[in-house]
Amino acid sequence: MHFDQQHLHETEARCTQESPPQCRQACPFSLDVRAFMQHCAKGDFGQARRLLERNLPLPDVMGLICDHPCETACLRRDLGGSCAIGDLERFCLAHLPVQSRPLPMPPKRFSIAVLGAGLAGLAAVWNLSRNGYPVTCLHGGERTSALLARHPQLAGAKAVGDVFEALDRAGVKFAESSLDEASLAQAMESFDGVLLDADATTLAPRFKDVDAATLLWRDKCCAAGWLETTPTGHRYASASRQANEGRIAAQTLERVVAKVSLTASRGDTFGPLHIDISGIAPAPRIEPGPEGFTPDTARKEAERCLECQCLACVKACAYLRKYQGYPKVYTRQISNNASIVKGHHQANPLIEGCCLCGKCTELCPENFSMADLCLMAREDMVARAYDPPSAHEFAIEDMESACGPESFLSQPDPSGRQRWLLFPGCQLAASRGAQVLALLRHLRKGLPGDGVGLLLSCCGVPAKWAGRPNLHARMGKRLAEAVAAQGNPVVLAACASCMESLRQHLPGTEVRSVWETIRDMPLPEGARTGLPKSLWVRDPCSARHDAAWLDSVRTLARKAGVDVEDSPSAGRTTGCCGYGGLVWCVDPELADSIAEDGLPPDLAPEKRGEPDARPVLASCIMCRDRLVAEGVPALHLLDLLFPGTGAASARERGPGLSARRAGRIALRRAALDGSDVPAPLAGVPGLDVDAALLARLEERHILLEDVAETVQAVDAAGRYFVNSVTGHRLGSSRPRRVTFWVEYSPKDGGFTVHDAWCHRMVIPGCGSDAGQPWNRQEDAP
Amino acid sequence: MSLEPNYAPDEAGWECGNCHRPLEQGKVQACYLDAAFDVLLPRCPVCGLTMIPKSLAEGKMVEVEALVEEK
Repeated sequence: MHFDQQHLHETEARCTQESPPQCRQACPFSLDVRAFMQHCAKGDFGQARRLLERNLPLPDVMGLICDHPCETACLRRDLGGSCAIGDLERFCLAHLPVQSRPLPMPPKRFSIAVLGAGLAGLAAVWNLSRNGYPVTCLHGGERTSALLARHPQLAGAKAVGDVFEALDRAGVKFAESSLDEASLAQAMESFDGVLLDADATTLAPRFKDVDAATLLWRDKCCAAGWLETTPTGHRYASASRQANEGRIAAQTLERVVAKVSLTASRGDTFGPLHIDISGIAPAPRIEPGPEGFTPDTARKEAERCLECQCLACVKACAYLRKYQGYPKVYTRQISNNASIVKGHHQANPLIEGCCLCGKCTELCPENFSMADLCLMAREDMVARAYDPPSAHEFAIEDMESACGPESFLSQPDPSGRQRWLLFPGCQLAASRGAQVLALLRHLRKGLPGDGVGLLLSCCGVPAKWAGRPNLHARMGKRLAEAVAAQGNPVVLAACASCMESLRQHLPGTEVRSVWETIRDMPLPEGARTGLPKSLWVRDPCSARHDAAWLDSVRTLARKAGVDVEDSPSAGRTTGCCGYGGLVWCVDPELADSIAEDGLPPDLAPEKRGEPDARPVLASCIMCRDRLVAEGVPALHLLDLLFPGTGAASARERGPGLSARRAGRIALRRAALDGSDVPAPLAGVPGLDVDAALLARLEERHILLEDVAETVQAVDAAGRYFVNSVTGHRLGSSRPRRVTFWVEYSPKDGGFTVHDAWCHRMVIPGCGSDAGQPWNRQEDAP
Repeated sequence: MSLEPNYAPDEAGWECGNCHRPLEQGKVQACYLDAAFDVLLPRCPVCGLTMIPKSLAEGKMVEVEALVEEK
């Protein structure tokens, strides 16, 4: 199992969605500015104020003097001006009474002295007194004088009086002092911890003489509150930094008196939160006016907040959106799923729902890979036998059928020469048999004397997607043997997933895109009339890194006289059509949503039906067929190259599951017979199944051959029910781990099928058990 | 009276095609993976041929199969 804690932490650390946005990282108090702005935007100023009270020392005073470094970091800066966070804080603090009461803390026995009542000293006094420490604050002159001298804008502010009153109520002792070496020596003698305010006493050391992380100077004495110096030598006080230093020094003193590590688990470190602000319209900053914000203007200004989040992958992927989280959350859910001993594996659909296309990795600045995570989880589920059988079993059966004796063919070039080998892939073979043969003829004509063989099979990638690496390897071994038997020619793949899978299976053999090979050949002969003038290119997800594939598709289309433009799903960041990762089998609805991602706006659902809608050009037959099933007009590259041979119009749906299997069988027969066009198989003789009914049954993964086998088996054995009203018969068979039921009636020596259904449960007296004797004892009350 | 879930045929008129007897509700044990459930299903009182109505196969059964698979 790969989900050890370290691996989990490394994986989830790659997702930075939980990293604080720039404003929060810039705030010395780590105020959740995004949440503050959200509360304000909703008009919930009470919650907004509560957040300030929880994070800021002396909140009412800080609100008036904070130099809000958050605004400098705000990403609205160049989009209409930084959000007026400081003014909004002031609005909340000025217009609402105190929203929270400090929790009474058990009194501590360690006493702390703070020398100097500047902002840093008072911030430390505030925090220490709230945490239950008896605090004595020694100040020169009036207790407010140091604060007012440094921040004269506080003169006359009610907040100052309120803060000192609150400190008095909390039991803080204020005492006038000369703040000299003698008073420091006495404080060191009498108190458990001492803090020196560098802006209100002359006793404090220089900043470079204290520990930068803890602000500890020596023994049990910290210092805080230095002035800042600009590059030109100007000295000034940053209120937020001074108060924060007071906060840090107070934390250090708490650790000093408790005799615990001064540094452990202190200061969160986060990676940067990646935010894409492209395409965001500027909106001008709303200034508060001389009287400050009104509730209405405050709300409007807060609405300008971009609510910075990464979600680069989530925005672009229907699968990642479906489970309403983001990769960091999903990593934990998948990891927890793997550690369940008893109980429900609720993350199974999450694990099975990823199409493994890798778009998230391309979009993520940290290269997070949901595909790697989900594939690892699937392999773990299979290895420990808790994978849900219904998820991938049908797809694996389909794969086995595509490699079975009726569909598999390894046919060398008739000349005996063996330089090239066309591998169309099982879905192109299933959907476009005539075009596969035309492509083979075109290659043989364009590469005279070289010899072009044909290999009809599945590449085995469904086994990999299902988390069955051993089965995938077995498939690879068989393919490697077939390729070796043809003399290890260069394999020309017409499917990008096959190309990827074959490169893994055949490490010593060159595997390349067939489009690359025919790119520089003359186009196939034949009229190219009726082709659209212009097409949107949608690249297959498995080809995103194959520059030759991407270029060849565009070059061939232009050679065919068609203008092409990249759709949003093109090149390196293209997405899946929902076929990848077997999502079509596990969660067809999700697969349809995935196909919708990355379509250009003029192919939105309400526009794609228009007769002049510009079709998509796909170079993967599953992309093409799945898009057309969604009502999107789409052509395959072969439709531009061989428009007269078995080409589909941009609206013509691809074959259903049963017809795909029949198409592979027909292609194999045609290749063996030397026919130019596969003869269509005429369904099952004597079995009448309405096309609409078959389409419905295929949604439940019931194939025509399942229906035929069931009818034949139950009717021959006479093991069926009969309806005295309709005359229909109903029987079941269980040829594998599924029981199929078919309702049918005999007609003219054959059968008409009315309906069918299936289930995986085993019921005595049904399916293959239908003929076994029944034990009447079971009926005993 | 039995407490097991009871599923009758979706339409009236069904009888055993072999024994020509009307169906009766009988208790059977449905199994999937490591789970087993007792249910009452229509079946032939003579030969035991048992029917799974479509509404059951595409309704409750799908739900239960999914739950068992999650275990």
